[in-house]
Amino acid sequence: MKKLVWQLLTLTIALAFVLSACGPAATPEAPAAPAATAAPAQPTAVPPTAAPTAVPATAAPTAVPQTTVNITHYFSDSLGKKWISQLTDGFGAANPQFKVADNTTGHEDFKTQILVMLAGNNPPDIFSYWAGARTQFVVDANRLMPLDDWWTANKMDDVIPASLKPLATYNGKIYAVPMNAHIVGFFYNPKAMAKAGITTMPTTWTDFLAMCDKLKAAGIAPFALGSKNQWPAQYWFDYLVSRTAGPDYRTQLMLGKAAYTDPQVGKALETWKMLIDKGYFYKNANAYDWTDAADQVAKGDAAMTLMGTWITGYWDGKGLKAGTDYEFMPFPSIDPAIPMVVHGSIDAWTIPADTHNKDGALALLAWFLKPESQAVWAKGQGALAANKNTDPSIYNPVMKEAADYLAKTNFLSGYDLSTTPPMAVGGLNMFALMMNDPSKYQDYMKQTEDVAKQVFKK
Amino acid sequence: MVKQRNMWAIIFLFFPLAIYTVFVIMPLLSSFYYSFTDWNGFNPNFSWVGFDNYLKITTDPTFLNAIKNTSIWMAAAIIVPSGFGLMIALILQRKIWGANFFKSLFYLPICLSLAVIGQVWIWIYHPDLGLLNLTLNFLHLSFLTDAWLSDPNTALFAVIVAWCWQQIGLAMVIFLSGLTSIPQELIEAAEIDGANYWQSLWRVIIPLLSPATVVVIALAIINSLKSFDVVYIMTKGGPFHSSDTLAMMMYNESFQKYYIGYGSAVSVVLFLIAMIVIAFYFRQVRELEHLYD
Repeated sequence: MKKLVWQLLTLTIALAFVLSACGPAATPEAPAAPAATAAPAQPTAVPPTAAPTAVPATAAPTAVPQTTVNITHYFSDSLGKKWISQLTDGFGAANPQFKVADNTTGHEDFKTQILVMLAGNNPPDIFSYWAGARTQFVVDANRLMPLDDWWTANKMDDVIPASLKPLATYNGKIYAVPMNAHIVGFFYNPKAMAKAGITTMPTTWTDFLAMCDKLKAAGIAPFALGSKNQWPAQYWFDYLVSRTAGPDYRTQLMLGKAAYTDPQVGKALETWKMLIDKGYFYKNANAYDWTDAADQVAKGDAAMTLMGTWITGYWDGKGLKAGTDYEFMPFPSIDPAIPMVVHGSIDAWTIPADTHNKDGALALLAWFLKPESQAVWAKGQGALAANKNTDPSIYNPVMKEAADYLAKTNFLSGYDLSTTPPMAVGGLNMFALMMNDPSKYQDYMKQTEDVAKQVFKK
Repeated sequence: MVKQRNMWAIIFLFFPLAIYTVFVIMPLLSSFYYSFTDWNGFNPNFSWVGFDNYLKITTDPTFLNAIKNTSIWMAAAIIVPSGFGLMIALILQRKIWGANFFKSLFYLPICLSLAVIGQVWIWIYHPDLGLLNLTLNFLHLSFLTDAWLSDPNTALFAVIVAWCWQQIGLAMVIFLSGLTSIPQELIEAAEIDGANYWQSLWRVIIPLLSPATVVVIALAIINSLKSFDVVYIMTKGGPFHSSDTLAMMMYNESFQKYYIGYGSAVSVVLFLIAMIVIAFYFRQVRELEHLYD
């Protein structure tokens, strides 16, 4: 008997061996990719009365046959879900011929799940996606429907700001319709600034560095950064490259047409090293998450953090007040001869090439882009509306500043949404290395260029 | 009669084998196939690249680093949980006060998923508020404090400690059951012959525990080859690949960089390593079977 048990145990362990070796690569449903992209936006609290899309439930019965519009998105936190359902409920009530079925999954699960759905020819009718390299990846596999006709018919050029149109366009056609934007800049604690005797915010690089010295002398770290998950450090690289080498060079670098060993990249990293060496960053950036950095600023241990507008949602959730507890300042100009750009991320809607309900998906898309829907959404999500005709009174003073800045500045996506996923992994590693030991920045440039050579087959 | 028994055997084996084929054998074979392609996991157009992925493995510093880290992990997995597990089992096997309570206590971490354990230890290692640094500060040893999970010199060991913390309970239980199966007469006979505790431990107890030891070590090796979840939760292989294991690297290549072809090649290598280990394991087990004859 004992022998039998022994043999069974042996066999079970042997089986476990085999299973241990055929793990993730064999099962595409393995845990979802870690957060390398934009952080989930924490929606701000909004009074429930702000519901322009609500339509009386007593819509007249109709004889039109009802079809289902399947929607999949990554706005999976409780408030994200709430505002999406408010919009889809309003759509369903106004368009009784369509019934919306919402298949939300977790923000991280979404990244793998949507690719599996598309590759398995089992797509939703419409889905949310990050504009930029990720959308390009899906377009290149011919999985999306071009939306040029719809764009023209709905006069989208009058709705979407011209600076966001490049993010809708891939291989010369429209594939992604922006829903909202987030921009990245310095979010600072005005009380910490006042404590260090700073009353006016700098616009030139010299004044900016002088401000950092003042803060440091007052015992406040000028910058908080939580680069534990790497992506928050990317915005430093984004801005240092586009402010010193220009947006065109930066675009070339993202597309693999410039090299990470170029003197332009060297100059950006040297500037970054100078800021680290001067002790401007709160210590141990790689040990913290972006929310830890936000807390350091809120507490006044650090003065500012380079982050996206979603941080306002996080702070509002903690009871901070826009304008008194936190403020926004764009990344200052370094070289006045270089045109300013703003970095950030765009959440967009895309429609699969083999959608089962094209009419429903397009009607829902138009509904999402209406100024009324946009107002509900942007306010609820703490994001900037993609429709430029949205009522600006929905924004708090800080979001208003961000919206005004976006309206007058050219937009470029952040690093991990601008370059291909394997390149982004290599680049993000370099940024975290910079925060660990900037003295070896020349080695990092070479290592990253090695990755680029492989990725772009140079 | 024999024929009928065979028929029943086939009927009973059919479903498990069918499930095993669909969920294990077929994905395994497709992994082998994809390891010879440059598939990105999504685009229907991909090409056959022969042994390119395997050639890349031989020169990829990330892979060599993952092999090194997995070896360190395996060594720690063999030494730490079995060492501490045996020690605790030997203490708790005696009829001391509260033995059952302590047995449950040490076994408790096994009931938690590695994701939970990872989260708990992330807090313990937190640079400002973590239990470890706070304790060190309290003991006036603040020069020893560190940002444990973000320092490339400590990250791998910090994750291994968290993982070992759980595995000790498992080793303890297996050793405890092994200890109860050792005939008491043998230990008494050794005592009558004048052996002291250490002599009977080394000469009688440990040799007779070898079946349990084989199971503990086999599980340790399996679990170290599988080490993914706790790494994913705590460091994602970082910082700078310092805590990358083979399983973590396979995931990063496949689902972060979308190099499914290359990730599959890594998984095939991991499979071959497991096969070598399994061969040794079967040989050991065959040699030990006589103990139960």
